[in-house]
Amino acid sequence: MPHVIRLQVNGDRYEVAIEPWRTLNEVLREDLGLTGTKHGCGQGDCGACTVLLDGRSVLSCLTLAVSADGGDVRTVEGLAQGRERLHPIQEAFIAGGAIQCGYCTPGMEISALHLLRRRPRPTEAEIRAGLAGNLCRCTGYAKIVAAIQAASARMSDEPG
Amino acid sequence: MSLPHFEYFAPRTIEEAVALLAGAGGRARPFAGGTDLLPRLQSGLVRAETLVDLKRIPELCAIGFDPASGLTIGAAVRLADLLDSPDVQRRYPAMTDAVSQTATVQIRNMGTIAGNVCNGSPCADSVPVLIARLAHLALMSPRGERLLPIGDFFKGPGETALEPDELLVRIHVPPPPPYTGFAFAKLPARTASDISAVNVGVMVARQGGVCGEARIVLGAVGPVPLRAHQAELRLAGATLGARLLEEVGRLAASETRPIDDLRASAAYRRDMAAVLVRRALVVAATRAGLAVADAAPAGDATGASE
Amino acid sequence: MSQKPCIGVNVPRVDAWDKATGTAQYTDDLSLPGMLHGALKRSPLPHARIRAIDTSRARALPGVKAVITSADLPRVRYGNWRFSPNTQDEYALAVDKVRFVGDPVAAVAAVDRDTAIEALDLIQVDFEELPGLFDLDAAMAEGAPRIHEETAGNVSVTREIDYGDLAAGFARADYVRDDVYLMPPVSHAYLEPCSSLAQADSLGRITLWTSTQTPYIVQCLLASVLGLRENEVRVIKPYVGGGFGGKMELRSWDVCAAFLARLLGKPVKFTQTRDEEICAGRRRHPMRLRSRVGFTKDGLLLAKELIVHLDGGAYNSMGPTATFLVGNLGAMLYRYPAYRYRGFHVYTNNPPAGAMRGFGAPQAFFVAEGQMNEASADLGIDPIDIRLKNAMHPGDKIRGFATIGSCAFTECLERVAEMSEWRRQRREMRPGRGIGVGCYSFVTGGNFNWFDTKYPFSAAEVRAYADGAVHLLTMAADIGQGSDTVLQQILAEDLGLRLADVTLYAADTSLSPKGDLGTWASRVTFMVGNAILDATRQIKEELFKVVALKFDTNVVHSFECKDGMVRVKGRPEKAVPFGEAVAMVQSLRRGEPLIARGSYTPRDMGLVAPTYSFGAQVAEVEVDRDTGRVRVTRIHTAHDCGRPLNPQAVEGQVEGCVQMGLGYALTEELVMRQGRTLNASFLDYKIPGALDMPGIDSVCVGGPEPKGPFGAKESGEGPVSPTAPAIAEAVWHATGYRARRLPITAEQVLRHLETNPTANDDRRVKP
Repeated sequence: MPHVIRLQVNGDRYEVAIEPWRTLNEVLREDLGLTGTKHGCGQGDCGACTVLLDGRSVLSCLTLAVSADGGDVRTVEGLAQGRERLHPIQEAFIAGGAIQCGYCTPGMEISALHLLRRRPRPTEAEIRAGLAGNLCRCTGYAKIVAAIQAASARMSDEPG
Repeated sequence: MSLPHFEYFAPRTIEEAVALLAGAGGRARPFAGGTDLLPRLQSGLVRAETLVDLKRIPELCAIGFDPASGLTIGAAVRLADLLDSPDVQRRYPAMTDAVSQTATVQIRNMGTIAGNVCNGSPCADSVPVLIARLAHLALMSPRGERLLPIGDFFKGPGETALEPDELLVRIHVPPPPPYTGFAFAKLPARTASDISAVNVGVMVARQGGVCGEARIVLGAVGPVPLRAHQAELRLAGATLGARLLEEVGRLAASETRPIDDLRASAAYRRDMAAVLVRRALVVAATRAGLAVADAAPAGDATGASE
Repeated sequence: MSQKPCIGVNVPRVDAWDKATGTAQYTDDLSLPGMLHGALKRSPLPHARIRAIDTSRARALPGVKAVITSADLPRVRYGNWRFSPNTQDEYALAVDKVRFVGDPVAAVAAVDRDTAIEALDLIQVDFEELPGLFDLDAAMAEGAPRIHEETAGNVSVTREIDYGDLAAGFARADYVRDDVYLMPPVSHAYLEPCSSLAQADSLGRITLWTSTQTPYIVQCLLASVLGLRENEVRVIKPYVGGGFGGKMELRSWDVCAAFLARLLGKPVKFTQTRDEEICAGRRRHPMRLRSRVGFTKDGLLLAKELIVHLDGGAYNSMGPTATFLVGNLGAMLYRYPAYRYRGFHVYTNNPPAGAMRGFGAPQAFFVAEGQMNEASADLGIDPIDIRLKNAMHPGDKIRGFATIGSCAFTECLERVAEMSEWRRQRREMRPGRGIGVGCYSFVTGGNFNWFDTKYPFSAAEVRAYADGAVHLLTMAADIGQGSDTVLQQILAEDLGLRLADVTLYAADTSLSPKGDLGTWASRVTFMVGNAILDATRQIKEELFKVVALKFDTNVVHSFECKDGMVRVKGRPEKAVPFGEAVAMVQSLRRGEPLIARGSYTPRDMGLVAPTYSFGAQVAEVEVDRDTGRVRVTRIHTAHDCGRPLNPQAVEGQVEGCVQMGLGYALTEELVMRQGRTLNASFLDYKIPGALDMPGIDSVCVGGPEPKGPFGAKESGEGPVSPTAPAIAEAVWHATGYRARRLPITAEQVLRHLETNPTANDDRRVKP
């Protein structure tokens, strides 16, 4: 039987009727049209589907949407404030060449956000540990790690 | 991912949850993090007609510490919550080591320590330390609550002492005994954040200048996490030194019953059990305030973390 | 005012904004009104005859719109090697028998994905199991069952290369090595699972959005399978989440999506699961390589004999190319006065292997570099020195198939030696640590027309408008490597424009000029870049005419497009803004817009490639002697890619290659048992994560390649090869363990250390 759930996604409120076996990843991508969040393995191993749920990075492919009822979700689409105001993490990814095929990027950015909120000035080792759940096959992670360092510096300079 | 169809309930009390589980006659599953349950449902390894979500039950989401009774961890407490707990950080460093080396950030943000226990996986990273800590599990059913020593909980790979109508509601970890040190070490199978090929949790108690009681628990080297009793006995009353730890490691390894699988061979697991035991004992002894003569410092990612 | 150059600078990727904001749409992100979801029923058996298929129960499931089997499809076989039709051995759905676990047998279209998957279980296939052939010897054994009726002995492709006097070379040799290497199957592990979305119009013409690196190949082959004309199929490549060679063929789900869309009159989408990707996606060829190589006592190469058996799995896929390339690459990098190669592509009942980054090179160079390292140890010559003695140089010829153009291999070796402080570290490293070198060369594009295209290998259309905007149309497929950016850099630079003046329309077969063979063999920057320059040359010719006329320019002067102007060279005052110049041309042509088509096809450049990259890499490792675990602590790499057009992008390619090479060396292997892939998830197929990666120092070495656009040659594939041999040598340096198979597991190293606990320690001096 469908459950009616309420989600706040990137500041917008949604009410959707869903079957309990549907994942947050499916609801975001299929019901809300938020396809920025990717689906790379469906088994919680690649991190491409990472979103923030109530402030924590979680795997949307292993999250039942029904269990996220009432939750506050932030996806890659909610990082920028309009076309011109990208999030410092996004800017650093772009400027630093941290994006190649881009399929891991949304999850990487969300993981970076989760990390930097908890550790505003992480060491390189902490960044790498923070990305352990996000696979990338293009970049060798080098420029992703560097971009997060750059974003960290910028975010610490400009709080808020 | 495509999940089979099931009903979903999110009770607000333990009683409701227990009633739901009992009422389903074994066809319901408690559900918290979902990080293990959902892939198993998807692949058909586990079947469930009903999922009972524990995350809306406030009592199950709480971590408590009391100097007399120790640590209580609700069944819906996530691994990341434990890492954030000042009590755990301060008083249970080996648990912090074990949990921080479990899986990845996202999995720790979702998965629970109770789930890690209830899966009955022989390689669960949080289990060896809990066994070394002599944790107890509070199991609730319509018949009431029983407390089971965690060492008696595991029956085989994926098999536990949990009755079909029972719910693990809390994990009790006794307060840190004086003059003891605990440690965790894991050898990830291939990559740095991989599942353990072997993991180990140990305790060393200091008795004057020698080792008093010791506990050694090994994961991923048998159908269930194993106590290495002979190795423990060898340590009791002994003066710690590198040569003794070598011997204890070998002894512990001889008590394992590993298998070959994709992640490591049985022979390698057995050999690594010896290495990890040795390394973890050095850390635990140091934490207990015991010197280890001629011991090399514990290794990094593949050894015991300080 | 002079503009910043567009070439040789770190221009951010043109698609980075889309990708950083989640705006970029990959195939599975697309949906169309009324869209149906498809799923494939795959064989659970490695080799079996299909007695009957009963789809009635599946058809009866509410929500199922169609179930098809090979009986419904035109019986047309396909395969990338159109040049040799006898190699085209695949049907979209198995006909009469299945040949590997995962071979598609039937396809379903339903209202949603869950229903489609439910229907798969209701399809009953009556199989008669046949004996399976899972290793090379079994497949080639006398009397072995045939996997394909037409292929006796199960060897589908052979390749021979012979030059020089092999016998004399070995007779003269003071030192001969004869080794057998075994290389494992590994997965591309691109993050985006393959997806196809097909829509048919009222006449049955198809539009297919698909995650491909070769839109043109998919267009042609799909048309042939459906019985349509090539130009009744339109293939559009949306953003692609990595390919690495694994997305360069027509695949079963492309055909099924298109067929079902025609059948049902509704759009149909198929998206693969990760399990399907790992079990039944393409993979790098497992190979057995026997290499015999002779040296003088001074370390000079005299002769090499390389005999390679490729486990191609159930179908040819890109196997013929692999069989050729291993042989070609086996003769690269060093001067082999005599060379003999025998390559055998063997059918087995394993999942088919296909093209994968550095195609053939990781295997060929793991062997060549491994033997070079072993020879260096036995002959007492430093590994870098023995390479310098034998290194290829510009202008070298390999009889019969290649002439080396630019080649900075020697400089690469010298540079990595310097960066890594090789000589000091090699001598003084403390026990348990090791340093090793590996090298490579790779093709920049392929010369051989295996697809038998009737069009140029690459083409570009440039449309210049009076408002100063320029459109670039090409079929080049950016799959993440960054070619969309680099191609726009080339165009902007050559027309003196800003990047923002250029808009790219790529990889849509109905809009892009014909043709383009796609993204493989590191060909895009080089070939499409040259096609763009062919088009801009024509554009400039027209623009220069009107400027000449306007200023009545003296015939001794020449012209240039620079800083947004078309002007007389050396006379900045005699200049017309680009758009105005275009307007003048257009006016003279009575309104006809200024459009030029350029193309590039390599001709008279040998059998293999127009030019080659070279490079050298040094790995530093630390070995835990108690556990045998290897940790790579640093990679130093020097790459001759000609002139790097976008240094940051080149670096990104190299760093990505290192990750793939490191996985090949230490953690990746598709574990097979009786044709089944046992580790079909990222939980157990382990690509290196952020914690596994060492710091990487990467430099570009060498000058511009004369044949390349602005001097460029390849950078995306070559550097995948040296990492494994460099790590293997570093492990040997640390422990004395010689790996002749991959991956190097901790257990192998530990077992070696048990019997040789201090091996190689005596080779070091105390610092």
